[in-house]
Amino acid sequence: MKTPLELLTDKKNAAAERLKEKGYLSKKRVYIGMATCEIAAGSKEVMAEFEAAKKQGLDIYLSQKGCAGRCHVEPTVEVVDPEKGPVLYTKVDAKKAKEIIQKHLIGGEPLAEGEK
Amino acid sequence: MHNRSLEVFGKAGYFNSQLRIALRNCGIIDPGDLDDYLNVRGFEALAKVLSGIKSEAVIAEIKRSGLRGRGGAGFGTGLKWELVAREKSDQKYVICNADEGDPGAFMDRSIIEGDPFSVLEGMAIAGYAVGSDKGIVYIRAEYPLAIKRLEKAIEAARKQNLLGKDILSSGFSFDIEIRLGAGAFVCGEETALMQSIEGHRGMPRPRPPYPSASGLFCKPTLINNVETWANVPVIVVEGAEWFSSVGTEKSKGTKVFALAGKINNTGLVEVPMGTTLRHVIYDIGGGIPGSKKLKAVQTGGPSGGCIPADLIDTPIDYESLGKIGSIMGSGGMIVIDEDSCMVSIAKFFLEFTQSESCGKCTPCREGTKRMLEILTRITEGQGKEGDIEKLERLGNMIKKSSLCGLGQSAPNPVLSTIRYFRNEYEDHIKNKKCTAGACEKMLSYVINDKCIGCGACKRACPVNAISGSTKQKHLINQDLCTKCGECYKTCKFSAIDKG
Ligand SMILES: Cc1cc2nc3c(=O)[nH]c(=O)nc-3n(C[C@H](O)[C@H](O)[C@H](O)COP(=O)(O)O)c2cc1C
Repeated sequence: MKTPLELLTDKKNAAAERLKEKGYLSKKRVYIGMATCEIAAGSKEVMAEFEAAKKQGLDIYLSQKGCAGRCHVEPTVEVVDPEKGPVLYTKVDAKKAKEIIQKHLIGGEPLAEGEK
Repeated sequence: MHNRSLEVFGKAGYFNSQLRIALRNCGIIDPGDLDDYLNVRGFEALAKVLSGIKSEAVIAEIKRSGLRGRGGAGFGTGLKWELVAREKSDQKYVICNADEGDPGAFMDRSIIEGDPFSVLEGMAIAGYAVGSDKGIVYIRAEYPLAIKRLEKAIEAARKQNLLGKDILSSGFSFDIEIRLGAGAFVCGEETALMQSIEGHRGMPRPRPPYPSASGLFCKPTLINNVETWANVPVIVVEGAEWFSSVGTEKSKGTKVFALAGKINNTGLVEVPMGTTLRHVIYDIGGGIPGSKKLKAVQTGGPSGGCIPADLIDTPIDYESLGKIGSIMGSGGMIVIDEDSCMVSIAKFFLEFTQSESCGKCTPCREGTKRMLEILTRITEGQGKEGDIEKLERLGNMIKKSSLCGLGQSAPNPVLSTIRYFRNEYEDHIKNKKCTAGACEKMLSYVINDKCIGCGACKRACPVNAISGSTKQKHLINQDLCTKCGECYKTCKFSAIDKG
């Protein structure tokens, strides 16, 4: 019989497979802060932009995340390029979300330092 | 397991001197996806203890880690577990206190919204260690999103056999239910919380018996705070040695603070115990906006005290904060600048505790009311000689004779501001002056030479206290003036001085 640790390892491997299937390693990952505080700061609107883009064919791994505690810069959006590492955008609104989609996700170039 | 936040958010500024243990996954993983949690070594701690570690050994590990309760009092977590484990009973309970009633505190909400699984995992580990199969999360109904995430997390964990019967085929069963609190501050107090779960009115009862012997439904009960729970899996995976290498001699690990008030970077910070207040305020918090001067820091919420600016090199740990008249509390940290009046701040916190007093014991019910009356008259310019001494006497009496922690700590904001800012109280009482200009009723409004005699203020004054003919300088009759501030707001020529 397998020990609990071995059983957990099986579950972990299965979980990793599922995440990979969703494109965890192959696609750009976009995380949007969706805690109460982020939502109050307007992150639902931001999420809607990314969801709409995804529906129109933008091939990304879209996910929510909790609050990292940076109240003064919310809502936050994090874009992780599996090869290049994470880029964090702060105080994102619908307009900035569109820019991130156009320039970073489609164009491949993160927004300039001052625009993050 | 910890500090992956650094990879994501970079080492610059806000995050560089933080160490994230309780918040390790907050803002990193999808709180709605168990796969994401498993991917960051989730449930490894639970599986590890279920794979042949004896329950006594788990408790010993928590004890050696030096972890202390993050809900306020800072009681040794391992010791508490041991007390519950020792009891013999057909039923024991494990409770997560997610009532989070301190105004301005939101670390527990963030943990549950950002990483609900680690709380569930911590509770299940404790269930195994103390011999309980039933966990309850008591969470305030004002946190709808946190409740939703928690429900979803419990459901997902059950589906994967990480909660429920025969967890990971180990023979150990543990399930968790959610109970909602209606937002009374006193229901965060452990005995009142259990009364509330049982369906009674949320009022504390005398201890002993402590919950460890007779808690929920008179059964042995282990109760810990959300943040305490979130630390547990890390201790099990990384080991007590690693955990206790962080922090000070008697306060181990980290503490999450909700930084608010007159500070540039508001938000949650998690720092090793022993970090100085200065470091948190200036290096992480980015200092005070508008190049104003720091006056004090209020820690511990309505049960805590105000620490004056010249003591901000104090290291943050349970003992040091206690020594200077404040407490760690649940982690509220409000920064106060020179524009704030310390008497009004004390009054603000007392207003809160006074209205949240459940009324069961006299010292708290009557005492806080009387203290508030005195404070109110001081801030309205009606303070009397001897009021400060009265506040001190009443405060000490309430502290000593109240039934629960609410009353025992309610005078703290008043006593600590008297201790460090006595001159402000005296100024209010003797000179009828609020130097910070915050006490509305003590201000006087005076018209200066910029007045062109337009008559706008005269028309705005609801009590006809302003006189003067057109194009002549007007005058405010101080005996009639009610200090409502309407004239000040109306004047377009900065011709009214407030002070
Ligand atoms: C008035 C009052 C309010 C409290 N509110 C909370 C609360 O909101 N959350 C919490 O965890 N503990 C609260 N406590 C402390 C609890 O009684 C208890 O000590 C705590 O849940 C124990 O957990 P810990 O050892 O992990 O800190 C409160 C205590 C008092 C006296």
